[in-house]
Amino acid sequence: MFNYVVRRILQSIPILLVVLTLVFIVVRVLPGDPAVAALGDYASKEAVNALREKMGLNTPLWLQYLRFLGNLCQGKLGTSIITGYPVGTQLLKVLPYTLELTFSAILLGFLFGIPLGIPAAVRRNSFIDYFNRIFSLTGLSIPAFYLGILLMLLFSIQLRLFPVVGGGDLSSLSSNLRHLFLPALSLGLIMTAYVTRMTRSSLLNILREDYIRTARSKGISEQVVLFKHALRNALIPIVALGGVYAVVLIGSSVMTEIVFSRPGLGSLMVGAIKQRDYTTLQSVMVFYSVIVVILNLMTDLVYGLIDPRIQYR
Amino acid sequence: MKKRIFLFLMIAIFMVGFINVIGVGAAEKLAKEQVLNIAFDAGDVQTLDPHRAATTVDRSTVDPIFNGLVRYPPGNQVKVEPDLAKSWKVSKEGKVWTFVLRKGVYFHPFPGYPNGYELTSEDVVYSLKRAADPKRSSYAGEYVGMDFEAVDPYTVKITIERPISETLFLAKVANYAGGFIVSKKAIEEKGDEWAKTHPVGTGPFMFESYEPRQKTALVANNKYFRGAPIIKQLVIRYMASVSSREFGLQTGELQIIEGLKEEKWVEKVGAFQDVTIKGFGPCETQMFYFNMTKKPFDDMKVRKAVSYAISREEVAAFMGKSLAAPIYSAALAPPSPGALTKEDALKAGVVYENNIAEAKKLLAEAGYPNGFKTEVIISEMESSYRKPMIAIQAQLKKVGIDMELKVVDHSSFHSLVRQDASPIVYYAAWRPNVDVFLTRFYYSESAVVTGKKPDTNFSHYAGIDDLIEKARWELNSAKQNALWKEAQIKVLRDVGAVPIIRLMYNFPMKSYVDLGHPLEWSWETYSPQITEKTRILAK
Repeated sequence: MFNYVVRRILQSIPILLVVLTLVFIVVRVLPGDPAVAALGDYASKEAVNALREKMGLNTPLWLQYLRFLGNLCQGKLGTSIITGYPVGTQLLKVLPYTLELTFSAILLGFLFGIPLGIPAAVRRNSFIDYFNRIFSLTGLSIPAFYLGILLMLLFSIQLRLFPVVGGGDLSSLSSNLRHLFLPALSLGLIMTAYVTRMTRSSLLNILREDYIRTARSKGISEQVVLFKHALRNALIPIVALGGVYAVVLIGSSVMTEIVFSRPGLGSLMVGAIKQRDYTTLQSVMVFYSVIVVILNLMTDLVYGLIDPRIQYR
Repeated sequence: MKKRIFLFLMIAIFMVGFINVIGVGAAEKLAKEQVLNIAFDAGDVQTLDPHRAATTVDRSTVDPIFNGLVRYPPGNQVKVEPDLAKSWKVSKEGKVWTFVLRKGVYFHPFPGYPNGYELTSEDVVYSLKRAADPKRSSYAGEYVGMDFEAVDPYTVKITIERPISETLFLAKVANYAGGFIVSKKAIEEKGDEWAKTHPVGTGPFMFESYEPRQKTALVANNKYFRGAPIIKQLVIRYMASVSSREFGLQTGELQIIEGLKEEKWVEKVGAFQDVTIKGFGPCETQMFYFNMTKKPFDDMKVRKAVSYAISREEVAAFMGKSLAAPIYSAALAPPSPGALTKEDALKAGVVYENNIAEAKKLLAEAGYPNGFKTEVIISEMESSYRKPMIAIQAQLKKVGIDMELKVVDHSSFHSLVRQDASPIVYYAAWRPNVDVFLTRFYYSESAVVTGKKPDTNFSHYAGIDDLIEKARWELNSAKQNALWKEAQIKVLRDVGAVPIIRLMYNFPMKSYVDLGHPLEWSWETYSPQITEKTRILAK
């Protein structure tokens, strides 16, 4: 198990290297100049050139690339070329907000998704099945940020229950939860849709298996058949895809964070793109890639917990 | 006599009562919590260094932190009044300006100086020299040929190589861009990088905290020389999504937001309960520049045809009459002295009023009886680029010109048009005076790519170099204005560009916010300025 984890981590290094080289090139291929973005169109050419020099943009690309790699190897994420603020500090400040949003959304997804998916599979083609299918199809088709706006209209503008600006104060639980509720709900509802669908199809497959029929014929109560024999096995693909969807969710959280003006990796990244803040953008993308790698690894490990047949070699 | 005493007493009693009513009324009116949240259409602030601040949000953030030697009264840019300097005079030949500083002005506290320290001429000289240093300031070009000297702790002498008019000189030491006075000790002891995120000034608000891509918080400077601010905390938020700003305004979490320059939106938000909205200047001016070195726009007839094909009135109506109006020069009249008005343009015969037949005739004469096709790069920004250009696209179609619009993101747009990538450049901008406008957009050295000092002369125009220089060094304001107008008329006669419309800014705010000044022009920030008098009234 330990060897497996180490090997997986080593394997992800070349992947990360390719990703960050691509990121390095892509952010620079975009037309647009960070110095112009920072100074506005009023600035004279001399002022723009002076700032480019200061930002280190006039050094050759290969040198910038080597510096970037060298810094990363030492664990340095650099400083924003626009504000001069350390990228690591920026990431640490916003990370709790993104994590709490993502995890609460996943939690909501499993909390509501599995109980909704079970009756849909058990009573196939019944009213509840149709209802759940419509619900999950809607959830899959609606963009998270749009749902966020709808929720804001209802809960904040009409009912005045929740705030719409910012992420709240991390040191105050009530303020934090109040700010978290709507964005978590909008992502959570979408996650619920995914999980409902997966639970239903996975459980349907399992319920057709021979051993379920055998269990039933032994006279075991339907409850035990369903929860002990069927659901436990159905959970494997749910968890597997759950990991994949968590990655998708981090993507959707970008727009949700912006709509709710929450601090987070998403707003950090989009702001950096607008300003052509190369260093911040690079580091945030690298960070995202690391998270994806870790999530994938974690998913693989959770398999083993659910399914004892899986062995890590 | 008795009658007189009685009358006097009556008046006195009446006045005391009246003052009481006002006093009590004012005291009751203030809201308990004096925290003002203002949200901008921005991803983040770029810098809090006033000598680098350039965008709307950057300027709006540094404006309440710093002062200049002189200032434009908040909400009004036409006159100049004392700020850190209480008086000034200019020598007879116009080369030496002497400023006498206000006493007892303190810089905000910073590490090592828990009570700040008193501003002296040394800070002023350091600050202006810094503004003149291209390595540390984006406005160094404004201070070429100027020398600064501290005569005594409260007197500053500025010597300028060639005298310029008061309008142009005072703008350099006003509360704007390079004119902001920074703390010598703070920057010398902590460094320029530190100053980028820790501004230390003398203004009504002091820097408190900055959260990247989220907000900057300022707090009241109770030692401010014009008196302690009524607002206790000013939170400047970066919110690029307009619907989020709108919602925040509706829930009352935000009190002032940056609006869209669109009439439909303005009407919608204006209908919200307890929200007031009013357009204000300086306005951006939207211009249509031809690349005069590229076919077919090297032909004056083609440029004239395009001018006749465009109807400014129609574009203005399309954008909404409450925010847009036709213009006849890139410089705005009023308020910029020396800017070309409609009357001036009509008198000189350079308006080219919309006339399809004339446009078609000119195109045929130029060898394009069936029109032609052209591809134009524009920015993604809706009200400044896309919408007006869609209107113009339809107008040009009527004379057979097929203008294809290639929309790119704003940052790319600025890079591409500076590389001559588009034969036509539609450009929305604002510049502080006619000299800057003419120099940046029509001086031969400013031509993009090919000029000696490439800037924003997208037309590659070179017809008014002599007039620009003559006007710059003219000391008599009336003569200066006349020279500027002559230059603007010449540009229109050569059809170097077509002035289209000006668009007002708007920042919807809760009706219980009292800015403390009338909001007509706000050229220092392009947003409502927040001063020591700004207050939040009880709902």
